[in-house]
Amino acid sequence: MTQENFWVLISKKLSGEASFHEREELQQIIQQHPEWQLAIQNLEDIWKQQQSTDIMQSEDAYLLHLHKMKEMNLFSDNYSTEVPAIGSNRNLKKWNWAAAAIIIAAGIFGFIRITGSKDEKEILASHVNEVSTRPGSKSKIQLPDGSTVWLNADSKLDYNKNFNGELREVHLTGEAFFDVVKMNDKPFIIHTSTINIKVLGTAFNVKAYPDDKQTETSLIRGSIEVTIKNRPNDKIMLSPSEKLIVENNLLKEKINGTINAVTKEPVPPLVSINKLKYSAVDSTVAEMQWINNKLIFREETFADLVVKMERWYDVTIEINDPKLKQARLNGIFESETIIQALEALQISIPFRYEQTGNKIIIHQ
Amino acid sequence: MEKNDHIKRLLSGIALNNDQASYKELFILLHSRLKQFAYSILKSNEEAEDLVSEVFIKIWERRDQLTAIESPLLYFYTTTKNFALNRLKKQKRLQSQPVDEWLVQLNSVYFEPEQLMMTEEIVRKIREAVNNLPPRCRLIFKLIKEDGLKYREVAELLSLSVKTVEAQMAIALRRLGKCMHLEIKSISSVSLIIKNS
Repeated sequence: MTQENFWVLISKKLSGEASFHEREELQQIIQQHPEWQLAIQNLEDIWKQQQSTDIMQSEDAYLLHLHKMKEMNLFSDNYSTEVPAIGSNRNLKKWNWAAAAIIIAAGIFGFIRITGSKDEKEILASHVNEVSTRPGSKSKIQLPDGSTVWLNADSKLDYNKNFNGELREVHLTGEAFFDVVKMNDKPFIIHTSTINIKVLGTAFNVKAYPDDKQTETSLIRGSIEVTIKNRPNDKIMLSPSEKLIVENNLLKEKINGTINAVTKEPVPPLVSINKLKYSAVDSTVAEMQWINNKLIFREETFADLVVKMERWYDVTIEINDPKLKQARLNGIFESETIIQALEALQISIPFRYEQTGNKIIIHQ
Repeated sequence: MEKNDHIKRLLSGIALNNDQASYKELFILLHSRLKQFAYSILKSNEEAEDLVSEVFIKIWERRDQLTAIESPLLYFYTTTKNFALNRLKKQKRLQSQPVDEWLVQLNSVYFEPEQLMMTEEIVRKIREAVNNLPPRCRLIFKLIKEDGLKYREVAELLSLSVKTVEAQMAIALRRLGKCMHLEIKSISSVSLIIKNS
């Protein structure tokens, strides 16, 4: 392996020219040199940077061009068939692309911090916009600054009516994907019960369910700053492809600690940073797939999956067997009904279930 | 790839239905990069603008033949290049225009440091490195990175071998890597291990 060959391989990989074998070879080399990883990640980031094309300029040029065509009698107005384009699909893609970051956070709704006199507070309080979704449904919201928020099932987003003032602040319970318009002088801040996230301009996903054990913040691209509520002096800068996990309840954690010791599972630290795993097939991350109507789970315990399924399908699920709760599962649900989903799961782990109305009980 | 497929769809809309909406979409999709490509040869904004218009007039005039184009992206770049060189010949501005004299402007390296996890210092170094690339190397890098051409297409457009394109890309990436202190001096015999296993 020569030096030149390494650079040939990496440039081929970036430009999508590398064969399967070449990608494997490169992967092997990189794995042997973890110290290169940051630089290689940076190269990939630079590669993905799009040039900002000035569409306005192209549209102006098109008008001039059209004028020329008409003068040459090449274009008549009779042809005109304004097709509404392949719009929606393309826009979604563009949006995904712009979606620079994902943040997943879990916790309960924090208090609204309003400064000013009491009277002012009351006035402001009546100016709070609240958007919420029921289990099993999702919603897309356009904020006054042009930012877009997708709200996942059983979630709530609050923001002040004068949101576009000095600061852009929202409060979240549940999970949401944010596509934030960049404004240098106006940071965008998301409050959850456990953490605050400061963003300069990028896109991200926040998961903040009250009954989850952890607050998760996953960043795909861009940069964000996270502060944990009870440790206001610690600022955590997250790099792309990193996931910050914060245990929601230290007390609960201690009780779990003894159980963990018995099952010999390592006790998770209060705060940890993990690498996001990209799917080899389409280089997406599981953390943002809910937007595409996919429920993805990788190496998840049945107990954790059931919580997600409850929100996804708007049902109540109970597992009556401790062993089943610990079983690890992988998969994707897309258009399956709850029954089809359960049947699919029965293939990987044998269990029985009973359904009465909206309640499902699972046992051996 | 995907880009070519998208252009193919638009072209068949134009060819089969005289679809002006597709025509407009195609123009807006390609205008900026073709103009920049034309500019690198003509070195005049006005002429580059005019040339792109000329290319698209030809597209409309020959719309019944559009579905036969195998690599549409390559077709557009080749047409732009030929038109531009013809123009130069007519104006007798230059007898020949070697690639080394083309003016290539890279756009995508002008990002803000905070968009990526990089220091200002590294970003400055990257710009410097890119601007100091030899012209031909910079052109190849731009066509592949910013314009989305395949190695094979660039090789055909510039009458080079694919191996040359590969080597030029490796040079560009190595220089970028250097900015991030990524210098590969020697590589352990990993590849040998893979082959033996």
